[in-house]
Amino acid sequence: MKQTSHTFLDNAHTALQDRDKAARRDFMALFTPLIRNAAMDDFGHFEELRQHVKEVRQHTLDNLDHYLTRFEREALHNGNHVHFATDADQLNSIVLDICQQHSARRIAKGKSMVTEETGLNDYLKRAGLRVMETDLGEYIIQQAGETPSHIVGPALHKSAAEIRELFLAKHDLGERELAETSDMVGEARKVLREHFLKAEVGVIGANALIAENGYSMLVTNEGNGDLCANLPNVLIVCTTIDRVVPRARDATAMLRLLVRSATGQPQTCYTSFYSGPRREQDSDGPLETHFVLLDNRRTEILASDYREMLQCIRCGACLNHCPIYAATGGHAYGWVYPGPMGSILTPLLTSLEQSNALPNACTSCGRCAEVCPADIPLPDLLRDLRHDENRQKLSSSRWRLGMRLHAWLARHPGLYHACTGIGIAALHLLGQRKGSFTQLPMASGWTSERDFPAPQGKTFMHQYAALQRADKAREDKSAAVAKPPRRRARPGSGKASGERQEPGLRADWPLKPDPRRPGKTRPGTAGGKGTGKGKPGAHPGGPRGKKPRSRQSDDR
Amino acid sequence: MTDSSRSRVFANVRQACRGAGEDTIAQELEALGTAPTADLPAADIHTAFLANVLKNQGSVDCVANRSGAVKALADYLYRHFRSHRLVAGNDPHLAAMPWREAGVLPRFGSVEPGEPVALSYALLGVAEIGGIVTLTGKANPAANNLLSEHHIVLVESTRLVRDMEAAWECIERESAKTGRSRGVNFIAGPSSTADIEGKLVYGAHGPRNWHVILMGDVPANALEEAHALAGR
Ligand code: SF4
Repeated sequence: MKQTSHTFLDNAHTALQDRDKAARRDFMALFTPLIRNAAMDDFGHFEELRQHVKEVRQHTLDNLDHYLTRFEREALHNGNHVHFATDADQLNSIVLDICQQHSARRIAKGKSMVTEETGLNDYLKRAGLRVMETDLGEYIIQQAGETPSHIVGPALHKSAAEIRELFLAKHDLGERELAETSDMVGEARKVLREHFLKAEVGVIGANALIAENGYSMLVTNEGNGDLCANLPNVLIVCTTIDRVVPRARDATAMLRLLVRSATGQPQTCYTSFYSGPRREQDSDGPLETHFVLLDNRRTEILASDYREMLQCIRCGACLNHCPIYAATGGHAYGWVYPGPMGSILTPLLTSLEQSNALPNACTSCGRCAEVCPADIPLPDLLRDLRHDENRQKLSSSRWRLGMRLHAWLARHPGLYHACTGIGIAALHLLGQRKGSFTQLPMASGWTSERDFPAPQGKTFMHQYAALQRADKAREDKSAAVAKPPRRRARPGSGKASGERQEPGLRADWPLKPDPRRPGKTRPGTAGGKGTGKGKPGAHPGGPRGKKPRSRQSDDR
Repeated sequence: MTDSSRSRVFANVRQACRGAGEDTIAQELEALGTAPTADLPAADIHTAFLANVLKNQGSVDCVANRSGAVKALADYLYRHFRSHRLVAGNDPHLAAMPWREAGVLPRFGSVEPGEPVALSYALLGVAEIGGIVTLTGKANPAANNLLSEHHIVLVESTRLVRDMEAAWECIERESAKTGRSRGVNFIAGPSSTADIEGKLVYGAHGPRNWHVILMGDVPANALEEAHALAGR
């Protein structure tokens, strides 16, 4: 797949012009969080389950050598062939080799983001094989010659009318209406059924690999993945090394989070576990089964400070809750994985040079981190990538100069407050008559799209300090009435020790250890989700070093 | 090629891991405890199971014994097809059913094109998910679960378990006796898709209808209560 992440802004601009698609995205952005929230409320133990699964996933990644070895051993014992692929080309050529060994011409393929990542379809097609996507969404975009716009609903960007036209053009089935959605689903079912029955090789992904018994877990609603896994004579499971979980019960715990986060269901229609080829007493099933386990820079991520990203269970909830994704759609991100998870994975799996626009496509609203069932601190990782971008001098020199200036100012709070005070007062004076600015120097990116409201004259800190002073004066007054005057330091005011402190800042500002991310620190906001809203001092001296992480070295 | 790839992948993984011993890893994993499961919609496991099957857009029947099951099957077939034919896996539990009592004509084997109804005997019913479990094999050809228009499942009330973890414990006990089966299928509803504009349609690839017959001792009001809980 040709990557266009570097033109994210242009892609987004183009996407915003299509009003129909934008309206559909707006609808999905309202609808999908509703069904996810209802499912989580119904379940009732979301946070407890999320923390449990997170701990299990962290434990698995910390001991991945052990669990991957165990999975391989069990999978071999179950009669599978197990292959390892270091990169996309290797995975593709392993799959092609297997197909050629069996003189296969037709491949029935279940939904697999990993094979999107490696571009398997094009690779097999170039070798003369006929590859048919069988998940309805994937089938639609394959017929349309497009790429997925969402990791769970790949064709949600297309209207029913577009799909109708597509089917009428692609399926040679004579005159017909296809007026209803169910008619289109029925037609795809008929066309694909034939392909299932003729395919010599089935290719599917896996939602989890179970180390203790060598089973892979496949989660679908359509049942297409199961048809791929059961009908052809050869089955190839393409997945990545980070999908391993220790036990079957870890896979089911993860499943509870996955389905509710992805589609708002309590359970998918088909959750299947496959261990290997047909047994002697079986009447059906593949005669030969293969696992192809892809690395493709995941071991680099494992060794880096972005390890938490490997805990992703590919539910798509962060996409559904992201205002940028809702506005631009998935194609704007220019590669396989869109939304917040894609803005982190794309730079890590390809390169930051090609995709440095993506970590900047973030409002730091923190919704993704709130809903992520894997509890990945997505905004923090995005901020760290922006820091990497800055360090690697990938952003414009003007931007970097501005950042340096801002960082310097932020380290001198007195001067910072003085400068912002002057700036705000000046803007207030200049803008008070009209109430807003239609143009501002160095902020054309803002004012070209919307007016900038004129400030009310005082900065937040000024107003807050004034409130505190008024508060204190009131307290002093009532204390003077109640008993003889005696100055007392207020808790956290720092005055008892004679320290000077900025008004309103907590005593533990800027840093306290973050229990959610051992070895890391985050701003000491009470009970905050650590959304990293660009608060000064969050990472003095820069974000976390690349490697090794302190937690890893502690544990060694 | 993959031998050297394997070595490279494992070398990189090892470098990034902490190299703990097997016992330490096992102890640490055990210390993580168990995951919370979903609350059941009713205290009685049968009612909860039936309610969740209904919520998953399945249909349900409760019968006291095998004669009742065959009669329920005959009614279902007649209602939908004005026929008494179905395909069932080579499961000894199904072979022993009193088919003649209700005039049902089963064919044992895999569904062939044009055969719309398949019957499976479930290893388990899982109340938490409103789903059933089958193991692949002669008794449960995959085609029967996946290619029929109507998939009917017979579940014995004594085979209900609370949650998926309990189901896996049973599956592991089965595996210890007969070896790991090729496939373990949790089924919880008819095949469905929402890939076109998010609209839910049943019968995407597999069955459009999913019918569960719960057989055995079930509280008298379980079915009624389950319908009330599911709102359908
Ligand atoms: S990052 Fe979290 S929310 Fe996003 S897809 Fe992965 S698990 Fe789901």
